[in-house]
Amino acid sequence: MIEEPYRWMEAIANRREYIEHQLAGGSPIAALTYADGILLFTLGRERQKVFEIYDRIAMGGLGHPGDIERLRMAAIELTSTEGFTRSAQDVSLRRLAAYSMSPALKAAFEQVYGAPYLARLLFAELGRGSGPNLFLRLDYDGSIHTNGGVFGRAFEEFGVISGSANATQQMETFLQEKVNPKGTLSEALQTAMEAWTIGHWTQSEGDREERPSTEVIAAHREEQTAAVAIEAAVLERSARLPATWRALREEEVRATLVGR
Amino acid sequence: MISENDWRTSAVPSMAAPEDFSSLLQRKGLYNQLGPHVASAGNPAAPIETIATTILAFKYNGGVLVAGDRRATAGNLVVYDRADKVLEIDAFSLMAIAGVPATAWEMARVLEHSFQFYRRTQLQEMSLEGKVRALSKLLRDNLGFVLQGVGVVVPLFATYDAQARISRLYFYDAMGAQFEAADYAASGSGSGAVRSILYYENHFGSRPLRKRTEQQAVTLALRMLDTAAETDTATGGMDRHGVVFPIVKLITEAGITTLEDKQLAKLLKKHVR
Repeated sequence: MIEEPYRWMEAIANRREYIEHQLAGGSPIAALTYADGILLFTLGRERQKVFEIYDRIAMGGLGHPGDIERLRMAAIELTSTEGFTRSAQDVSLRRLAAYSMSPALKAAFEQVYGAPYLARLLFAELGRGSGPNLFLRLDYDGSIHTNGGVFGRAFEEFGVISGSANATQQMETFLQEKVNPKGTLSEALQTAMEAWTIGHWTQSEGDREERPSTEVIAAHREEQTAAVAIEAAVLERSARLPATWRALREEEVRATLVGR
Repeated sequence: MISENDWRTSAVPSMAAPEDFSSLLQRKGLYNQLGPHVASAGNPAAPIETIATTILAFKYNGGVLVAGDRRATAGNLVVYDRADKVLEIDAFSLMAIAGVPATAWEMARVLEHSFQFYRRTQLQEMSLEGKVRALSKLLRDNLGFVLQGVGVVVPLFATYDAQARISRLYFYDAMGAQFEAADYAASGSGSGAVRSILYYENHFGSRPLRKRTEQQAVTLALRMLDTAAETDTATGGMDRHGVVFPIVKLITEAGITTLEDKQLAKLLKKHVR
């Protein structure tokens, strides 16, 4: 064991640096409210990055596929057994993240002889009735960032994750101005696309601190959408069944984004 | 719940086939069933109880209709007259239950969660055959209760086969054998009468069941339930005060529709009573 506190802190700091470096290339994910629910949006090359967890909960993840997979499975198991033994009404993102997942992530992160989870997760939960939507970022060290609603902080109608703190910051600032909770799905897709582009440009151009110009965004967006697959899914308030998840077909999304 | 031991204690990480939902429940001790050895102890010849109810399903021109009466009985007592025996399992599947409600509803719950759990974890819809087998497995796992004579369930399962673009209908025995029905199936104590009528109507009626319109199909279903209630005490007839109607659901290419009480009342008034 590392007996000295200083050595332990050093080990933790090294580990943090290592994980941040591993996550730095991850494609950003944006989730935002629109008139009929929540849109989750990202671009990716290899594998699916946004997933259905339960009736009203979805997840997006960046990091190592094996770790995302273990966390995804754990989340589905926890929500499914809760939904089965109690009821679907009792499944809540707040409890899932705060009581089950966060402690496990923190424990894995701080036990310096074991492997941490190389993953950063974004959860979204569709509010019931007229209740607000919940967006929640869960990091590899178990820390949680939500979209507010407590201690007088107003609810933000979006949540993002990306490979770097600057990119996340840029995306959040952009979405703060642009998100329209009453907007249509195609408006939401446009906004999400732009937010993704800003985040991706920021982290791939040496983690800049300034927002890219409109021309730069347009060019970067064109370049990326030509090369990479677009992935989008929604949680719909108007769904007929209790399960609200619907993956959007890529052609459908592309048609919306290009047909502007 | 994310156990730290899962992956660190075993040198070679397990690469087992994906776990299904009922095994997950059993692993967590949330769905315990009696094994056959427990069941038969001290109860060598449990009586096979009668399965008091009537559920029926048949294919018509446009899909498959599934209907059931509303009565739940215990011995010769009516305990409930608003039981819903036709349960939606997913967007295209219905399970109709005859048998002990406690077991049957729990099975429907497990089944519904199983299909969703599979879709969510495996990122694809369970195949039709997989769904049909899943119910079969639940019935077989229930053998302990069947032998004790307390948990017999004999369900029907109807679904739409999106690949072949046809509706499919299955019936089961209490031990889990599954049979695909060509045109119709019925289960429960009132099913004798219903099956006779279905056979007659299909062969000698105005036209085969598959050629009938939705309205003709619904009318026939209501008439059959009424007939079953005439001789079978365990099948609920039409409520005397006209408030509680049978459950009638249709599966078509577009999904499941439940007939509204208003529509049923109209058809009942015109064609049944």
